[in-house]
Amino acid sequence: MHGAMPTLVKLRAGAMPTLVVGMFLPVVLAAALAPAAAAAEPKPPAGQPQPGPNNCILCHGNKDVWEGEQLKLFVTEADLAGDIHWQSGMRCQDCHGGNSRAEEVRQAHAAEDGFRKVASPKDVPEFCGKCHADIEYMRRYRPSPRTDQLAEYWTSDHGRQLKTAGDLKVATCISCHDRPHGSGAERAKHGVRPVSDPASLVYRTRVAKTCATCHSDQKLMAGRLYHAQPLPCDQYDKWTRSVHGKAMLEKGDLSAPTCNNCHGNHGAVPPQVDSVANACGTCHGKVAKLFAGTRMRHKFESEGLPGCATCHGSHEIHQPSDAMLGMQSGAVCARCHEQGKFGATLAGAETARKLRSDLERLKGGIEQAQDTLSEAERLGMEVSQPQFTLRKASDALTNARSLIHAFQPDPVEKALAGGQEVVAEVQEQADHALAEHTSRRIWLAASLAPILLVILLLLLYIRSLPAATGGAG
Amino acid sequence: MSPASPESTPEKRGWSGRLGAFFYQRLGLDGLAALAAKKHVPVHRTTLFYFLGGMALFLFAVQVATGILLSLYYKPSPDQAFESVRAIMTEVDFGWLFRSIHSWSANLLIGILFLHLLTTYMMRAYRRPREITWMTGVVLLGVFMAFGFSGYLLPWNQLSFFATRVGTAIAGSVPVIGKYALLMARGGEEITGDTLARFYALHVVILPLATIGLIGLHLFLVQKHGISSPEGVIRKHGGEERVPYMPFVPHFLLRDMVGWYLALGILAALAALFPWELGHKADPFGSAPAGIKPEWYFLFMFQALKQLPANLGGIEWLEGEMVGVLFFGFCGLVVLLVPYVDFGASRGRPRWVLNFLAALAVGFFIFMTAWGLR
Repeated sequence: MHGAMPTLVKLRAGAMPTLVVGMFLPVVLAAALAPAAAAAEPKPPAGQPQPGPNNCILCHGNKDVWEGEQLKLFVTEADLAGDIHWQSGMRCQDCHGGNSRAEEVRQAHAAEDGFRKVASPKDVPEFCGKCHADIEYMRRYRPSPRTDQLAEYWTSDHGRQLKTAGDLKVATCISCHDRPHGSGAERAKHGVRPVSDPASLVYRTRVAKTCATCHSDQKLMAGRLYHAQPLPCDQYDKWTRSVHGKAMLEKGDLSAPTCNNCHGNHGAVPPQVDSVANACGTCHGKVAKLFAGTRMRHKFESEGLPGCATCHGSHEIHQPSDAMLGMQSGAVCARCHEQGKFGATLAGAETARKLRSDLERLKGGIEQAQDTLSEAERLGMEVSQPQFTLRKASDALTNARSLIHAFQPDPVEKALAGGQEVVAEVQEQADHALAEHTSRRIWLAASLAPILLVILLLLLYIRSLPAATGGAG
Repeated sequence: MSPASPESTPEKRGWSGRLGAFFYQRLGLDGLAALAAKKHVPVHRTTLFYFLGGMALFLFAVQVATGILLSLYYKPSPDQAFESVRAIMTEVDFGWLFRSIHSWSANLLIGILFLHLLTTYMMRAYRRPREITWMTGVVLLGVFMAFGFSGYLLPWNQLSFFATRVGTAIAGSVPVIGKYALLMARGGEEITGDTLARFYALHVVILPLATIGLIGLHLFLVQKHGISSPEGVIRKHGGEERVPYMPFVPHFLLRDMVGWYLALGILAALAALFPWELGHKADPFGSAPAGIKPEWYFLFMFQALKQLPANLGGIEWLEGEMVGVLFFGFCGLVVLLVPYVDFGASRGRPRWVLNFLAALAVGFFIFMTAWGLR
């Protein structure tokens, strides 16, 4: 094929410095062609499809035209088949401008035809935003489109770094939505898929992995700071071990939070000290509301402690347990109240101890009632109603656990007392069921005795009857 | 029955004797006494089998008695059925006992009826002139199985709800009439409150009336034709009238009563030691419980139908389930018509083919039931 088109583009990286736009930028394809056009008057190669409505593909879909760094400009229709834009009927010129009907390179990439260069990652947000921030345009495709992604992006740490620090390694639109995967010429490109598509890199279950591509890369993160501390690279590993990560990755729970739920997506930033509770409260509304009205919240903020994360951690958040409450080893209350850190009081320590003790008492009561009910059920007694009632005690326990976030003992004690009342009622019913079972056995024995006596008397009477058999046999 | 006369009234002394004589005369019990005196029961090696009929009758009486008690508290609506049965089990005095006895007795009754059918077949008691006696017995077995099927749904628990859905769907696979039978049984496309109301009416009104009629006819025929003796016994003694016998009253009746008291004791023990469980309330929008299966006496059919492919021989209209249901329907018809299928019965010819098929059927029943219970 090379010989068949000696004058057509044979692009060399050294001859076109403006085309080197970075490893992750496949959309620069069109920009690469302009200087090359100046050096050659391309004609459609012999044997190739003749010019049609989309002549771009004649060159960009021909692998032999590209080599080295320029391979990123090689795009076939097969690559485009999975792209949401392509599927919506858009063609190259709809994003890149230019003249797709032109038969030679210069005409195809003429500025007067609106050809748009993507010379640098810096150009990408505005390139995509041209349409995605245009509500009139986007309404053609959806009745209620989001058009704030571009504005959000410029508020994100990614956007700020790109704009102000000129950091070309930060994520732009295509880093997450169309990052080439595979290697070399086999890399898929122009494969922007809808977020709802499980193959999309930003599909819910893949978001964390996509973020981790950069954020777990020690080389890429080296030298980057957050609150004057080196930016860690272990967030993804921690998240996979967290209750959230396990819910999503192991249980397939798509409602479990991943990176963007706490950090935002287009406007990704770490939640600040005063906004952590609000981020958690997006899902944990009740406890966030309770916490918001506490003195503890103001104390945390004044001490620079990040709300919920102070006790529960951030990325590696484990299933909360009652062991977190109290003053024993491993309890989170003890971290501050034991040594009076951040002004924590001994009275608070005593409250934590008492709440833990009462919590355990209710738990023990529920377990004991459940054991008795299970035993009664095993013996065949009908105990579905008390079993149902016992759920109220479990609900009270759950409620009390939530109310702990109000950092006031009274509501918790009230909830626990309600649970204890239910437990006492159910325990009585369960004991009654067991007693009833014993009573049934006694009554069975008592009723079998007269039955056997009657049988015995009948047999004796039958024996006393004359052998009244007839017939001639 | 001749009118009672003072001459035929036994001489009674004391107030109880006079009271007895009062009813004896007015109810014409002398006719009944004469009938009882005429009734004999053959005595031979397998006389024990004759007790099965009386045992079935006793268990039916238990069903009627406990069923009436349960009906005082049962509420046949989807909102209240489960709760009312739970209340019977937990709040009503001895409610647990009556419900458990009702359920255990129903199962024992079906088991006794199967044995009664089998032993009657073995003794070839359906020989002329007792063909209709046999057929009413077979129909009664079918009626009692319908009792079991309809009663199973009444507690409106998860297992019974889905078992009924499966059971009625199987009936719906019968060609031509299946669709209508399904609609009639369910009172619509799905199992709903209408189905519960229909099954309740079937269980406490329609089937009991049919049962009383059929039992009446069955007992009348037994009384009319007497109790059949096996052919071998007749041959051994040189004629049916020469076979030794015992009077029904009091000899056989007292022995019957021993069995009834024994059954009562067994029922009480089963109810006290293994109360019939209630399960969880039916949730029509929930998923069917794992390992769903019908009562044991339907299990052989259910298990067999499960093994059949969707289509036989790859023919689209030849649905496996439909063929299976038709096959079991045909088998039921053959059992009903055994007196006429056994061509040599009246001439005392051996029935090798029929015996082979019967043994095959019993083996199939036991194997499939055991497989289904596994």
